[in-house]
Amino acid sequence: MTETRDGDPPATDGGRSTDGVESPDGSEFGVGEQDGDGPRIEFRGGKWASTVPLVFFIAWAILQSGVLGIGDTNGLVVGALIGTTLGMFLVRGDWKAYADTIFEGMTQRVAATAIVAWLWAGMFAQTLQTGGFVEGLIFAADALNVGASTFPAAAFVLCGLLATGIGTGYGATVAFVTLFFPAGVLIGANPVLLFAAILSGAVFGDNLAPVSDTTIVSAVTQDADIGGVVASRFKYAIGAAVPAFAAYLIAGSVMSGVSLEGAVALRESANALGLVHLLSMGIVILTAVAGRHIVEAISWGLLVAIAFNLLFGLSSASDIVVFTVTEAGSLSGLPVVEVGETAGVGGSLYSGAVGFFPLIVLTLLIVAMAQIMIRGGGFEAIQTFLLDRVATTVRRAELTMVLGTATINGMITINTAAEIAIAPYIARIGEKFNINGYRRANILDANTSALGYIFPWAGGVLVGYQVMVGPDGLGAEYGPGMVVNPIEVVPYVFHGWFLVAIFVLAAITGFGREYIPDRVSEEVSRA
Amino acid sequence: MSVFDKFLAGWSFRGSTPDYAAGDVLEVMVTGEEDGGAGEGGGSAGEGRGGHVARIGDSTLRIEGAPADAINTRIIVDVESWDDSAHTGRATYRKTVGESAF
Repeated sequence: MTETRDGDPPATDGGRSTDGVESPDGSEFGVGEQDGDGPRIEFRGGKWASTVPLVFFIAWAILQSGVLGIGDTNGLVVGALIGTTLGMFLVRGDWKAYADTIFEGMTQRVAATAIVAWLWAGMFAQTLQTGGFVEGLIFAADALNVGASTFPAAAFVLCGLLATGIGTGYGATVAFVTLFFPAGVLIGANPVLLFAAILSGAVFGDNLAPVSDTTIVSAVTQDADIGGVVASRFKYAIGAAVPAFAAYLIAGSVMSGVSLEGAVALRESANALGLVHLLSMGIVILTAVAGRHIVEAISWGLLVAIAFNLLFGLSSASDIVVFTVTEAGSLSGLPVVEVGETAGVGGSLYSGAVGFFPLIVLTLLIVAMAQIMIRGGGFEAIQTFLLDRVATTVRRAELTMVLGTATINGMITINTAAEIAIAPYIARIGEKFNINGYRRANILDANTSALGYIFPWAGGVLVGYQVMVGPDGLGAEYGPGMVVNPIEVVPYVFHGWFLVAIFVLAAITGFGREYIPDRVSEEVSRA
Repeated sequence: MSVFDKFLAGWSFRGSTPDYAAGDVLEVMVTGEEDGGAGEGGGSAGEGRGGHVARIGDSTLRIEGAPADAINTRIIVDVESWDDSAHTGRATYRKTVGESAF
């Protein structure tokens, strides 16, 4: 089954592929089959009207995040709710089938699997941050005596490490722009390049981390195990990271910094002990790749991280979980009980899990809207168009998947939401050519991760920019030299651009392509 | 497959028309159903009439004996014959092992 490379460009005639196999027609793909055995919903305006909820949501997301620059997931939830409600008014006949379909979509296993993984990943990520992982990485940079020219390259590697450990590129961006960015600029590194390097590190981690929200979504929506997906995408990630690191070294030596008054010593916040969480991170990655259930893998990492935090004094027990009461009582002496003005629960386990609640609700609504499209015929109509007119060969199918993911992520700048919206099409188009789950998941996640941190309106860029321009931001503290215009970083997010380029080339050349008969992804373990 | 093997899998350029051989046992996603006419891709007339099809890249595997509702399910098949020049083959249904991700 070993083959030589077949590197011809994709066919453009829509009829025959370059290797002489006639393109299929719609019937070849089973187009026209009703998905599943649920009820069909009849819409006023035909099957295309079933796309109204999701189209409205996408338009809302573009307006909110792209035009107005508001990166609030709760706002997207409202958009999804309104879109879902609007669709109901277009239903012909009894609305009960429409309402039932909302429940049907929300109870799909694909959503439940992602939700379970997110909750554990959130707790783990927050516990690592509470345990001084960032401060440990700053110590590493200080110990390596990183200078102005090499600071961007170091920031890329270290931010990539942090993002891989905590699974959130947004969180890694905020942490590094807050702590690492001012130190680098004051040493003499170019601020635009340094910000871009931090964003590149965020892309790397968001793409590769087993606890990343985008990794989890890409795996479970393509019916692939998370550990296997991480292992299979390593070749693409490292293929983009090596030239990106070299590019930061070269650019760092030719792009000058700015002159600022003041001094921020790296070692002020450095803490060598924080580096023990490299072990916590390694345990999660290795156990996940070894095929253990993602909940089990993260749980082991979480236990080790908590033990390290308490053992080395990186955090207190109340930093991990705390019950705040308004009056002292018999339990006030416990290390996890505090007296405060407002009663409540807190700590890294609490905030880590709760932080995912808006995304969980949004995911349920998006999956419900997708199910409405399926039952109403809109999903099938779009799929038929793509398979009949665009994705007529395997190469064109993969290019369609790559460019489609890029387009949706360019419009919806909260990348996980974009990924969930396009995931069903990646699954179906890929399956129609027997492309296996690992490959589909990798195509889906690459542009989702990359483009979420490149364009000026992207959520990843905006969270970093907010740290600079906020009321107590870097600009207020150090002056305008510490503020980077988001549009300036676009060409310098090297890892993101290289990742996009690698997948375009991979689709054309077949690098990394795997079919279902080659290797079937392992079962996605579900609770 | 070991952890090490998982990291090394797929480091190759895979063509768009994979070929198989008689006797291969494959897991495939059923991608369509023949409309009863002679199939495309060089299959002889009458071969696989009314059967199912698995499109693997740009190769085509015609499947006999699959359940009527086999489209978008993953099945195990025995490859009976394969034409390397046309990248088409015939296979027999063995069992259903899964379904589409969506």
